[in-house]
Amino acid sequence: MTEQGLIQPRRKRRRLPFALLAGSVIVAVLVILVLLAKLIAPYPFDQFHIHDRFSPPSLKYWAGTDEYGRDVFSRVLIGSQLSLTLGISATVVGIGLGVPLGLVAGYRRGIFDELIMRSLDLLMAFPPILLVLLILVVTPPALMKTAIAIGILSTPYIARVTRSVTLDLMSAEFIEAARARGERDWYILLRELLPNIWPVLMVEISLRVVFAVLLGAVLSFLNFGVQPPSADWGLMISSGRAFVDIAPWISLAPGLAMGVTVLGISLAGDGLRELMDPRLRGQR
Amino acid sequence: MNSAAPLLDVGNLTVRYASEGESFTALHDVSFTLQPGRALGIVGESGSGKSSIVGAILGILGPAAQMQGNVHFENRDLATLTPKSRRAVLGKRIGSVFQDPFTSLNPALRVGRQIAEPMIWHLGLSKAEAMNRARSLLGDMGIQEPVAVANAFPHQLSGGMKQRVLIAAAMACEPTLLILDEPTTALDVTVESQILDLLEALRQSTQISLLFISHNLRVVKRVCDDVAVMYAGQIVEMGAAEYVLGAPSHPYTKGLLASLPILQAGSRGLRLPSISGHIPQPSRPELGCVFASRCPFSEPACNASPQNLTTPPGSHQIRCWKALSVGSWPAQVAVSTVAPKFRRGDALVNATDLRKSYKAFGGWAGWRRLLPSLQNARSANSTPVAVDTVSLSLSPGEVLGLVGESGCGKSSLGRLILQLLRQDSGSVEYDGANLGALSSKALQNFRREAQIVFQNVGSALNPRHSIGEALERPLVLFDLVPASQRIRRVEDLLSMVQLPLSYRTRFPHQLSGGERQRVAIARALATNPRFIVCDEPVSALDVSVQAAIVNLLADLRDEFGLAYLFISHDLAVVAQISDRIAVMYRGRICETGPTAEILERPQHPYTQRLLASAMYENPKQADRVDGQTVGTAHS
Repeated sequence: MTEQGLIQPRRKRRRLPFALLAGSVIVAVLVILVLLAKLIAPYPFDQFHIHDRFSPPSLKYWAGTDEYGRDVFSRVLIGSQLSLTLGISATVVGIGLGVPLGLVAGYRRGIFDELIMRSLDLLMAFPPILLVLLILVVTPPALMKTAIAIGILSTPYIARVTRSVTLDLMSAEFIEAARARGERDWYILLRELLPNIWPVLMVEISLRVVFAVLLGAVLSFLNFGVQPPSADWGLMISSGRAFVDIAPWISLAPGLAMGVTVLGISLAGDGLRELMDPRLRGQR
Repeated sequence: MNSAAPLLDVGNLTVRYASEGESFTALHDVSFTLQPGRALGIVGESGSGKSSIVGAILGILGPAAQMQGNVHFENRDLATLTPKSRRAVLGKRIGSVFQDPFTSLNPALRVGRQIAEPMIWHLGLSKAEAMNRARSLLGDMGIQEPVAVANAFPHQLSGGMKQRVLIAAAMACEPTLLILDEPTTALDVTVESQILDLLEALRQSTQISLLFISHNLRVVKRVCDDVAVMYAGQIVEMGAAEYVLGAPSHPYTKGLLASLPILQAGSRGLRLPSISGHIPQPSRPELGCVFASRCPFSEPACNASPQNLTTPPGSHQIRCWKALSVGSWPAQVAVSTVAPKFRRGDALVNATDLRKSYKAFGGWAGWRRLLPSLQNARSANSTPVAVDTVSLSLSPGEVLGLVGESGCGKSSLGRLILQLLRQDSGSVEYDGANLGALSSKALQNFRREAQIVFQNVGSALNPRHSIGEALERPLVLFDLVPASQRIRRVEDLLSMVQLPLSYRTRFPHQLSGGERQRVAIARALATNPRFIVCDEPVSALDVSVQAAIVNLLADLRDEFGLAYLFISHDLAVVAQISDRIAVMYRGRICETGPTAEILERPQHPYTQRLLASAMYENPKQADRVDGQTVGTAHS
């Protein structure tokens, strides 16, 4: 039916949840910064200022400079591109794998359920860093490969949430009504179940983005992710570690940027869930 | 009510909920008193505010609620007490029992412990003393083996037993007031009647006062001395139960009583009296009388100013200015139809020897299926049989009622007939074809002709699909109408179930329960079916709405010649609409016959028991209100 019919009545008397408002403002600012990073950055991210090594935050260098005299603020800005690309693409991979697996497991039950969920348990029990390292060590590092590796790690979590929501929905009578009128499986999965799963999944998805950004940083920190001299938050924290007593800003600035990103995405996820789920409306 | 010091005195209680800038009034200026040793019933439909009264008394309304007015209990204002002294009063002097016995007990603790806990806490008994008393309390509640029950976990007890345990826990500290919020709603009729017996016995032996909240007028009439009828947050009528429910004056009470289905075989042409419309939106209070929009006696003067509770001479409190002059509620509508004759020969649905048992699912059972050698290890007796060798047949246009208590397998049987569940053995024939032998393509035709309407109006519609989308989907699926005419067909369907056409763009959560059930019925009708399984279609609805939905189903049956398998636990509802009744007990059909015959000459002992409990609730047909105003003085 018409998309308009779908959207109109829901928008009418809805007030945006505060979490969504705050979260989306943060995320929007981040996105703008990421897109315009090259324009906003006061200096090229890899320009050395040998005379200004380890200078503290000032009007000239907003977040100070590092051991080579590179502007930390510019590097954080440019680094956001790598970190966020990694976080989002890894989560997309996780959704692409986890949602279908969870849906099928919850819908078919029985053997499918057991096989899918137990294999995912196995994946989940495996130490995540070790797994990613295994994948990365045998082949040369590349951003997309890291994203896929982290995405695979996210799959069990997304699949579990999807499955539990599906199980819950399967007892709803509208699913039985769909089966009673002879709907095909794909229709029930995509049109009856899936739209009801997104709201609940929203929170998990925001957590996964956060997880991917953090894990990406850890990998860079361990020198398995992005290679120097690229700017990446994890790499910056890692290389600033040596000077944390004399120039803490080198690590603090990317750490703070990561914290704000994480907060913004979580808030937006929480808010989106509240907005998308008609049943949650008006409970606050 | 007399002037002796009341046990509970609720004065000018107003409760508002504010959420997201909108506020609505759940209770508006409610006042009542409860004398020691009396039982006051509060009746009303969902949304009438009756549960907010309990919440206000117990102080559990939640942070969004704003409360005005006062609640005096034993001459102390509960609202001004500190949380600590309030707790002492609530646990010790007021006992409370809530609706759902299945979730009110902690599943991880033994039952005896849960009864003993408040006595250790409030009365300072030692653990051993408290456990002893818990066992004797369980004995008082009519439990045969108190020691065994005290040691049991909640899941080992039946619903009725759990409700007895909850009443025992509420009575543990010998309170002077027992608050019961819908205590029998979740129970089967036979069990309900036992719990009511227990409450009556308790009143006799302990002189306890009851505040009894229920939507069930018959239950309230049986238990209570006084009754307050709530509508849209206001008390509309209050007085002695025998007068309020015996000879009501307020139009709403009249309508409620008239809407109750009577335990007698309905005939094809008869319709139940019902109250049209639904409770006004709490956010938009009506200017005048709150009931005016649904009242058949309303006139322009009713909308002029809010109605006040007054006590006309020789009567009780009524919130209606013309109460003494209104007549009886409009009677049943008779539509002239000729009762069809059904010949057993050409059955539409023919189920033979259906059998279904549920196997353990997931976990080890799943793995076992991988290894066939392990399958025999499972003992054959451990699987519960839901439907045990059941045969039934249904002629075109016939309504077969299927009654039985919860867990008897009646819903499973309905799903087996629709082939939503696969039977272990036996067969279902539809229109001469064996459904089990059909290809999935041929089964599609059956799917079009056989539909289902569910009990749970909350989950029957997909919350993310608009009403229009829900109704249009079957048309698209079976390609019934060309795309250009689909919207018109959807509008036709809406008008068939008497909903405004504008509902096409609405979403399920914007509709009331009765309206959602109408949409679900419209969705079932969209494919022009010949057979509909109605699985408890009115059980989740309020009495006044219930009657309207039964009438709608009867109208549609007559208009389209539909056959129904009408499943319900409520014999009176089934009797209204069914041509024949099948009684189901523990997975088997124990008796089948024409409705009148089952009601008048039940053969099977279970049918007799079912009928007796239903009769107990509904003793004589003379009970029905004929709208006479009662002149006898009482106060």
